[in-house]
Amino acid sequence: MPRPASKEPESGSDRQGIGQGSDQGMLARATGARLWKDHGLLLWAHFLVPPVLAALVVAATFATPVLAGILAAIVLGIAAVSARALMIRLSQTEEARLALTNQLIQSQKLAAIGELSAGIAHEINNPIAIIAQEGEWATHLIGEAEKQCSADFAEVKDSLREVRAQVDRCKNITHKLLDFARKREPVIQDVDVSRIIEDMARLVDKEAAYKNVTLVRSLPQDLPKLRTDAPLLRQVVLNLMTNALHAVSEGGRIEASARADNGFLEISITDNGCGIAPENIDKIFNPFFTTKPPGQGTGLGLSMCHTLVTGMKGEICVDSKPGQGTTFIVRLPR
Amino acid sequence: MDINILLVDDENDFVETMVKRFGIRKMAIDSAKSGQEALAALATKDYDVIILDVRMPGMDGLETLKLIRERAPLTEVIMLTGHASLEAGMQGMNLGAYDYVLKPADFDDLLDKVRKAFERKELNAKARKQGA
Repeated sequence: MPRPASKEPESGSDRQGIGQGSDQGMLARATGARLWKDHGLLLWAHFLVPPVLAALVVAATFATPVLAGILAAIVLGIAAVSARALMIRLSQTEEARLALTNQLIQSQKLAAIGELSAGIAHEINNPIAIIAQEGEWATHLIGEAEKQCSADFAEVKDSLREVRAQVDRCKNITHKLLDFARKREPVIQDVDVSRIIEDMARLVDKEAAYKNVTLVRSLPQDLPKLRTDAPLLRQVVLNLMTNALHAVSEGGRIEASARADNGFLEISITDNGCGIAPENIDKIFNPFFTTKPPGQGTGLGLSMCHTLVTGMKGEICVDSKPGQGTTFIVRLPR
Repeated sequence: MDINILLVDDENDFVETMVKRFGIRKMAIDSAKSGQEALAALATKDYDVIILDVRMPGMDGLETLKLIRERAPLTEVIMLTGHASLEAGMQGMNLGAYDYVLKPADFDDLLDKVRKAFERKELNAKARKQGA
């Protein structure tokens, strides 16, 4: 029985077709392949002791039925405990594998959407540039015509101005998209995470004070240095803090904390704001997903965070209770 | 360790003090008073780190940052700002600034960030060389 458990990672990852080295490790950890390695002897005992004892029972039957009865009871007990332990392990394994599969599908989906939108952005950029140019030319022509025949072209000019404004908006979006899709290889340095959180928090402080929001830092003194890409991490932290600030209402509270864990460093940004509706929670990392009114948010912030954190070989996850608040957790390998 | 630094700020007093303070540490630092001047300087010399004020008359810091990133992608930029503007901070970081420092900047803090930015630039240059 434990054999298939150790094989599972291979077949699982084949199906997913995931090539990242760290995924194998994650999968192995999640599916308990490590258990086999660490507790191999114990597992052998689990399997071999009951049948051996059962054989003894059979042997004892020939001697005295009483002894056989006692032995049989012991065997049954051990077998039941064994079976239970394995069953629990099995269901845990299955659960972990399912969660991981979902996570992998999610990040693949995001990567695909990102690529697609970058492609579209690239294609759309050129026509937008031409529209902008023609609009400017038309504005110029109308100006000339107006001088000659002194007619009032106010309305035409007004609509041309609007064309230009909307084109600028499109350009803004496509540029953001292209910028976001550009793959930046992380540059790894020793990074003081407390420092980064403090620096970014200071940027948010003033705006937070405007809204009467307190931004609390709970950073342990002895936080170990992290080997990662500093500006990317700053971007992620600043984005999450800004989101939190948008989510809380007047007088709200945001907490930025960090803690070191076995091989990982965890950064959490918690707010006591409006929370995320359950029907939206699966979509928040999708590019363009936003609950803000049109024109106020491009819906790229969180998807960018996701891309950046994945690029740093980390994970980002969210926990939210509508009406109570949201926590974003970024886990980065040390 | 020689770091080529360019300080871009329209506040004369601030620039003078900074030039002196870097000078005491035997670090050469050039200065520019506007975005245009900065870009002109960048055309003649290969800077490692540029310290760039966000709010300047004429071409503002973010616009300058965009052009610096295009023309010298390896050069790291540290944004400097007198007012803690969240929007400008977000834009700056998204445009690829290395770090953000609020004025009045603690000098040792700034120095530390300059060193870190330089380290990153060197790492980046090395990676590119290997990739090419």
